[in-house]
Amino acid sequence: MLESLQYIYAPQMLNGLSIGVAVILMALGLTIIFGLLDVINMSHGEFYAAGAFFSVSLMAMGVSFWLCLVLVPLLLLPIGFAMERLLIQKVFHYKDRHILTLLLTFGVAMVLEDSYKIIWGSNPIKPPAPISGASELLGVMFPNYRLFVMAFGALLIFAVWLLIYKTQIGAIVRAAAFDKEMSSSLGIPVMLVYALTFALGVALAGLAGVLLAPIYSVFPTMGHDFILLAFSVVIVGGLGSIKGAVVAGILLTQLQSISSLYISPVWSDPLVFTVMVLVLMFKPTGLYGGMKNG
Amino acid sequence: MVNPQAKAIRLIEYFLFGSAVILFLTGTLLGDTFYLRLGTEALIFGGLAMSVDLLLGIVGLLSLGQALYFGFGAYLSALILKEISPSFALTIVLVTLASALLGWVVSFIALRSKGVYFALITFGLAQVVAKVVYNTSSLGASDGMMGVPILKIWTPLGSIDADHPGTFFIISLLTIGSLYAVLRYFLTTPMGSCWHAIQSNENRLAYIGFKSKGPKQVAFVLATVVAAVSGALYPMLRGFVSPELMFFSVSGTAVVTVVLGGVGTLIGPILGSVLLVSFKSIIGTWTPHHHIVIGLIFVVIVISAPKGLAGLIAKHYSKRQSHRGDKSWAYFRPSSCVSILADSQLLKMLALRLKTSESPQLLGQMVPAKVPYLIY
Repeated sequence: MLESLQYIYAPQMLNGLSIGVAVILMALGLTIIFGLLDVINMSHGEFYAAGAFFSVSLMAMGVSFWLCLVLVPLLLLPIGFAMERLLIQKVFHYKDRHILTLLLTFGVAMVLEDSYKIIWGSNPIKPPAPISGASELLGVMFPNYRLFVMAFGALLIFAVWLLIYKTQIGAIVRAAAFDKEMSSSLGIPVMLVYALTFALGVALAGLAGVLLAPIYSVFPTMGHDFILLAFSVVIVGGLGSIKGAVVAGILLTQLQSISSLYISPVWSDPLVFTVMVLVLMFKPTGLYGGMKNG
Repeated sequence: MVNPQAKAIRLIEYFLFGSAVILFLTGTLLGDTFYLRLGTEALIFGGLAMSVDLLLGIVGLLSLGQALYFGFGAYLSALILKEISPSFALTIVLVTLASALLGWVVSFIALRSKGVYFALITFGLAQVVAKVVYNTSSLGASDGMMGVPILKIWTPLGSIDADHPGTFFIISLLTIGSLYAVLRYFLTTPMGSCWHAIQSNENRLAYIGFKSKGPKQVAFVLATVVAAVSGALYPMLRGFVSPELMFFSVSGTAVVTVVLGGVGTLIGPILGSVLLVSFKSIIGTWTPHHHIVIGLIFVVIVISAPKGLAGLIAKHYSKRQSHRGDKSWAYFRPSSCVSILADSQLLKMLALRLKTSESPQLLGQMVPAKVPYLIY
């Protein structure tokens, strides 16, 4: 019993956790953008891919991986800022802006994905892992780089939580999410906050791309599979909730990795979506409410 | 005075019908197969887009998983044609019945949510089913099903084979045309008024004593049937089905088609499909990267003309009317609560309620709660 726990469950759960951290990073960006702007960013997966592709190109130019970790999010910030200002704000004042912004970001996703195919080609690229070797954890060997991704990701999630809930900047963001008119009349530059928050979400997706590029390969449609999981996490956790994204991210990836011990892995995706559909049916707001309640 | 949108719809109807006739005549005279098959494909995907428009443009529900029902229709039709009989009528009847049942069952799941959540739940459902079909070996798994036999159509003069592209083009035209006619008819009924009213304000509908659940369910089932019947035509044209038919790219393209042609017009999606399919085949001969162009066009349309081509035509008409000094309601759209008033039966109901009710908030959120904040 104890042995099966150690040799079968522990590695599987650790594996799930390392995917979970990355998914949570993606989901955080999605959920912050939704919590503040009420925008479902369908192009989020493409920004994740952008992060991975940028890091591949920068590393080919001789930039070290560690510098990429800083540079790529910085490169994506202005892109996200410009997208919010130039595209999303154009349809933001319509009554059905939920649907229009969803459509708009969907169009952007189409353009981005095809651009990657033109620039980098359709073949998967696999950058080398910046940390080699493996170390023993709980009696099983585990690649060092995955351990790093988990630790760094957890730190990053904590930093985002600190930023949103414990700093003045976070208070401004939450105030703008809570009541746009009131915050604006109190002198908060709401439009700037919107654009910066969108940029932050996009940069987080890009960072997840940089982190995961050495684990999974880099290819133009890499955002697709991942975005589905991230969407499920955001919905189960509650659109706009950071705590929900973390809890649901861990829950769903654990469910996925443990269930794949018993059923074929191809069925674990449908299982996660089934959970998502069930949550949408019985508690459409997810496990936790939005950012507005925090 | 006819309202500009109705005029735009009429114009697009004439244009599409005219081009279909020209395509059929020149195609059969010149012995062409390529353009006739392309036209058929445009009609099939136009049918799918029409079902998206029924939900999005009329009822106000964005479905991101309509390919599920399209694929369902395609697989069922392929199975019937292969295993039971290559009869057109039988296939269409069975697909209609089965998809109505499916739509009715799914509506209980999907209609529990609205807005963004509805979009995501339809998206999730379609993904689950697509993955399951992709991994089911009895349905051909990732290869799909091939070898669908040539369609037979029963006529009073004996059954004919529909392997000629011209014949099948006419069949598709009739099928999609009758689906369109059915939806148009529904829009003239009180049910249609309810749909428009749900789109503009679902809560207000409840205030004047109408349930929104029933009409929404009918719309959902209708959309499912329209998508499935369009899908049923697919294996008849191509001779195979593949799980890609259920993938998100198909649902997504359908939404693009609707927005391009004109949301809420039902005929706009067909126009959009004709443009998009021909555009893809033209661009496709130059470069495989047609998505980038389509995506760009889509983004521009969402930003500058959210009502699509039909909206642009309607705008043109309303401008012409105002130039003539006509003081009719420019850009009037019978979608607001006015459409409730337009229907005499609903008007009677409203009058009745006005007499008996003393609630000052009868018409719902007429006064936004935040008005005090806005007056600085």
